[in-house]
Amino acid sequence: MSQPALTVTAPGQAAGRRRRLLEIAGAAAIAATYIFLVLTQPVDIANGPASFSALVALGGFLLGAVLLIVAVLPVLPTSTVVLIPVALVLNVVLGQLMGSTGLPFYLDAIGTVLIAVLAGPAAGAATGALSSIVWSFFNPTVLPFAAGAALIGFLAGMAARGGLFRRFYFAPIAGFVTGILAGVVSAPIAAFVFGGTSGLGTGAIVSAFRAMGDTLLAAITKQALISDPMDKAIVFTIAALLAYALPRRTTFQFPFVRRYRVLAGKAPAAPEA
Amino acid sequence: MKPRLHPFTALTAAASAAVVTTAAAYWPLSVAMALAAVFLAVRRGVAGRVLPAAAVILTPLCLSLLVLHGLFFPEGQTVLARWGPARVTAEGLGFALELGTRTTACVLVFLLFSFAVSVPDLVSALAGRGIPPQFGFVLASTLTLLPAVAVRLDRIRQAQETRGMVVRRGLLSRLGALRLQMVPLVLALIDDAGSRAQALDARGFGSPGPRTSYREVADPPGQRRFRTAALLFATAAVAGRIVASWPAGVPS
Repeated sequence: MSQPALTVTAPGQAAGRRRRLLEIAGAAAIAATYIFLVLTQPVDIANGPASFSALVALGGFLLGAVLLIVAVLPVLPTSTVVLIPVALVLNVVLGQLMGSTGLPFYLDAIGTVLIAVLAGPAAGAATGALSSIVWSFFNPTVLPFAAGAALIGFLAGMAARGGLFRRFYFAPIAGFVTGILAGVVSAPIAAFVFGGTSGLGTGAIVSAFRAMGDTLLAAITKQALISDPMDKAIVFTIAALLAYALPRRTTFQFPFVRRYRVLAGKAPAAPEA
Repeated sequence: MKPRLHPFTALTAAASAAVVTTAAAYWPLSVAMALAAVFLAVRRGVAGRVLPAAAVILTPLCLSLLVLHGLFFPEGQTVLARWGPARVTAEGLGFALELGTRTTACVLVFLLFSFAVSVPDLVSALAGRGIPPQFGFVLASTLTLLPAVAVRLDRIRQAQETRGMVVRRGLLSRLGALRLQMVPLVLALIDDAGSRAQALDARGFGSPGPRTSYREVADPPGQRRFRTAALLFATAAVAGRIVASWPAGVPS
């Protein structure tokens, strides 16, 4: 125990505090941007596209997502970091399959939710934000939704910590609640940056609310409240079923799963390594 | 050989172009920006990949915008046509044109960047600037994993078909087939990740401290000056937009 490199507790604690501050700053940036956008939404979009709101939404949400990544990524264990690309690939492959069907669902967060269940809320938030950034290499329109994706990963991790993934019938309920929050946060992006939604199915629902005379933000928020909770309920259920299908030897190698007893059942009697 | 662009120079140029287009909110500028991106893509020889990718993203988006704002725009005054609840208004069409061209320009500019950039250069440039090495790993690993997963999914499908998987018309049959393919894929990917983690840890991936890079990316001073200028220009555009349209209800 004479090696100083193994006992660096004091700088480690200081770095931990700095990371905690970065996490809080990231979350605060996302929350403040949302409140600002809702309070100052353009009353009359007929005057032209909401360029100011678009810049505020892009800047604030991206800043928040980047702060979260910088805070969380360096402290994740390697076993979690190597899972993030797997989650991104699952998000992209399943999301693109779904986007081509024209249904008003996205199903582009299955990988994020799976990682959140296995590795916790911090890993889930980082995976969600990173997923948007890396996916934007093929589809730049997902980049502005990084903050919403981070929120989904974080909430899925919190649900897993609370034991909602122990029984398959609790998972859709957790997904439904997550979808409400994520949809509300993502609506200003869809409204001000894209002026609508990127899919034809979701666009039809927004059109229906617009025909009733709603403002654009209200119509998109209502569409999000229809699509997102259902979408996330399906996503959480698929992620839960995938987690159950994995062998326990695989799932119980994650400290988060062991510590909070995320999945029902006892740990396999593993030989002490 | 042509001098290569430093990845950050390309990224700064793409981001500044997108920010300026968004801040200007002037559709002729958006169209010009989109055409410039297409021209550069043709010159770099990546147009064959950029344009199909952009078409897949932009076609549903622009159609959705056209239907949404072209037919239903309650704020519109100048009614051009009317069918029942749907009203075609000049304002709605203009709004769809503004947003459609703006999104098209931004998507083309970023796709040009991502298809023209050399990923190894980008990763080593990121690592050289104090970005956590995990970020570079995630980026490079995902980009190499995507084609591998497509191959793997095909192999799993073939294996399951040999075992008697037949996809019939019904929804249940389709879901069952999806499950037969998804579960082995996820399992194999997570198992692979576990062994990759051990290999990376054995090579000191998770340990703190400086890294040695074997790949040097040249960063000529001219490109550095260009980046500063582009960032200043983008900042000025954002500042101009904020001054021009600061919402009336907010104390400044």
